[in-house]
Amino acid sequence: MTSVSYLLLIEDDDAIRTGLELALTRQGHRVATAASGEDGLRLFKEQRPDLIVLDVMLPGIDGFEVCRRIRRTDQLPIILLTARSDDIDVVVGLESGADDYVVKPVQPRVLDARIRAVLRRGERESSDSAAYGGLVIDRSAMTVTKDGQDLQLTPTELRLLLELSRRPGQALSRQQLLRLVWEHDYLGDSRLVDACVQRLRAKVEDVPSAPTLIRTVRGVGYRLDPPA
Amino acid sequence: MSWQRLSSLRVRLIAVFAAVALVTAVSASGIAYWLNRDAVLRRAQNASLNDFRGSLTRTVSQLPLHPTCQDLSSLAVQVASSGLAYDVVVVDPSQPDCTASSDPIAFTAKQVPPALVTAVNKPREIGPGNPYQYHLYWQRVNLSGPYVVGGTKVEPDGPTAYMFKSLQNERADLNTLGWSLAIATLLALVGSALLAQGASATVLRPVRRLGDAARRLGEGELDTRLDVEGNDELADLARTFNRTAESLSEQVAELSAREAQSRRFVADMSHELRTPLTAMTAVTDILEDEADSLDPMIEPAVRIVVSETRRLSDLVENLMEVTRFDAGTAKLVADEVDMADLIMSCIDGRAWYDAVELDAPRGILAVVDPRRLDVVFANLIGNALKHGGSPVKVKVRQDGETVVVSVSDGGPGIPEDVLPHVFDRFYKADKGRARSEGSGLGLSIAEANALIHGGAITAANNPEGGAVFTLTLPLTQPPAPGPEEAP
Repeated sequence: MTSVSYLLLIEDDDAIRTGLELALTRQGHRVATAASGEDGLRLFKEQRPDLIVLDVMLPGIDGFEVCRRIRRTDQLPIILLTARSDDIDVVVGLESGADDYVVKPVQPRVLDARIRAVLRRGERESSDSAAYGGLVIDRSAMTVTKDGQDLQLTPTELRLLLELSRRPGQALSRQQLLRLVWEHDYLGDSRLVDACVQRLRAKVEDVPSAPTLIRTVRGVGYRLDPPA
Repeated sequence: MSWQRLSSLRVRLIAVFAAVALVTAVSASGIAYWLNRDAVLRRAQNASLNDFRGSLTRTVSQLPLHPTCQDLSSLAVQVASSGLAYDVVVVDPSQPDCTASSDPIAFTAKQVPPALVTAVNKPREIGPGNPYQYHLYWQRVNLSGPYVVGGTKVEPDGPTAYMFKSLQNERADLNTLGWSLAIATLLALVGSALLAQGASATVLRPVRRLGDAARRLGEGELDTRLDVEGNDELADLARTFNRTAESLSEQVAELSAREAQSRRFVADMSHELRTPLTAMTAVTDILEDEADSLDPMIEPAVRIVVSETRRLSDLVENLMEVTRFDAGTAKLVADEVDMADLIMSCIDGRAWYDAVELDAPRGILAVVDPRRLDVVFANLIGNALKHGGSPVKVKVRQDGETVVVSVSDGGPGIPEDVLPHVFDRFYKADKGRARSEGSGLGLSIAEANALIHGGAITAANNPEGGAVFTLTLPLTQPPAPGPEEAP
């Protein structure tokens, strides 16, 4: 990373907040912190960070609600700090719009790797564009329009759409997508893919419950079907 | 029919009832028969004998002093003609060759039993209790049918008369009576069997209900209760059963409440430990990075804090995992993965690549939770590296609808007495060692993870030396979660 990324850490426990702030600062990030969801939302509006690290269990409005409120207006990456990996927390968190999650107690190196991976998703790489029906993916501007209207996609959703659109008509397994989009170098949590596909469909499909563009391939994964 | 069936309560009851009925009926009929027989025979016999005596007395006086054979025959006919259907034979010592009989073809003097002849011809002393010198004697004999033969002398030198009276009619009557009694006995037996059946049903039905209830209780239906009817011993038994079931279910409820409480405590405790651990883990990396530049007196202390924080963090993580398995809240996030990829990423992620020989063909796809299996492989391989040592070999094979992964090492193997306990929590092979090198939960968690996939792990020793852990997993999960929405 050339530029220093600016993170907002929302965590109610003083020791964890201070510890993570120290560790993330040492990893080369600029870190702002908030001890509650309300403070976090206010700081977010004032400071416009590049990424938010969000604890799920917060006094007052909880992490899910913070996540939903941010997603109403902004598509910046959000990483959740959850208590358990197989908990309903993960599912709810991903449905609220989070891009990734880490489980406490988290090694700062792991968190840093996830942060950098999420931030990379927003980087542009090629300079072409593709159209699928009314959907136009401009890879140079990193924008997606549907019927001429700009779609607000998070970097993760955008990267997922880019990876699928790079291989139209070809099914990609969840594990492949986890490697390509989330940069998980081990076999990861397929719920990340399922949740992100759901959110992406909600934005790009005409009828999200009957998808025609991003199709499920039973037993394999997902496939982007160019309209005939 | 088995012996057990023969000795069943129902059969025994029927046998007892039948025996009682048989003894009662046979003795009652027997007594009735013998009394009747005696009375019937005696009455017929006495009537004939009395008639014979009267008829003889009347007729003999008309006999001449020295009767001819002709006279004697007419005497016999005359005496017999009195009406009670007996025949008469008259014998006179003065006419030894004369056969005087009312029916000379059927009855002759030869048919009179010698004992009777002797008794009849024996004169008695005449005294105060005995006015007659000669008495009437009788004997029952069988001459082509039952007969009573009576005989007497009227005068000392006169003829002797014998009477033959058939008892055929009486015998026929008695036979009829005997048959009737036998049939009555048979009916009593049948009746007793039916009664026994009824009685056994009233006993056996509650017994069967009790048996059913006891079986249900044994199968874990602790709310099984019996309806108590009546006030007999069986009702007592039912009440006892109900009380037993009641206290049993109370105890079970109490035990499971206590168990749930202690599980919750462990879960809560692990959860509480996690917050400080998260903060500590966050700064361990900083401490570790800076350790080299610290005072040599302080550096070892920092290293201990760093390594023990990580160990504590692993332990708490494993404890939480165990409580999740115990509480049944562990979930499977299944996905179809290539087993070779899965093991490869596990080995790569932990930098074990140089220490492990992997023999895994690509293309064995299984629907599994990759993160849970990663834990399983990390535990099995880590364990083999720690306790067994190189070469650690991991072999993956497909066997029908299952995939079999074996992890073997070149170490000393597992002692036989330890083998059954390798999956126990906190089990230490060496009691002298104060604490295990791992959390002591690794293999137990690996096993629980295999079980949640519908698979299993076994531990054994290789004949060529070293331990072998074998993981068997079904290729597909029964309720395969995955993309729910229709394409």
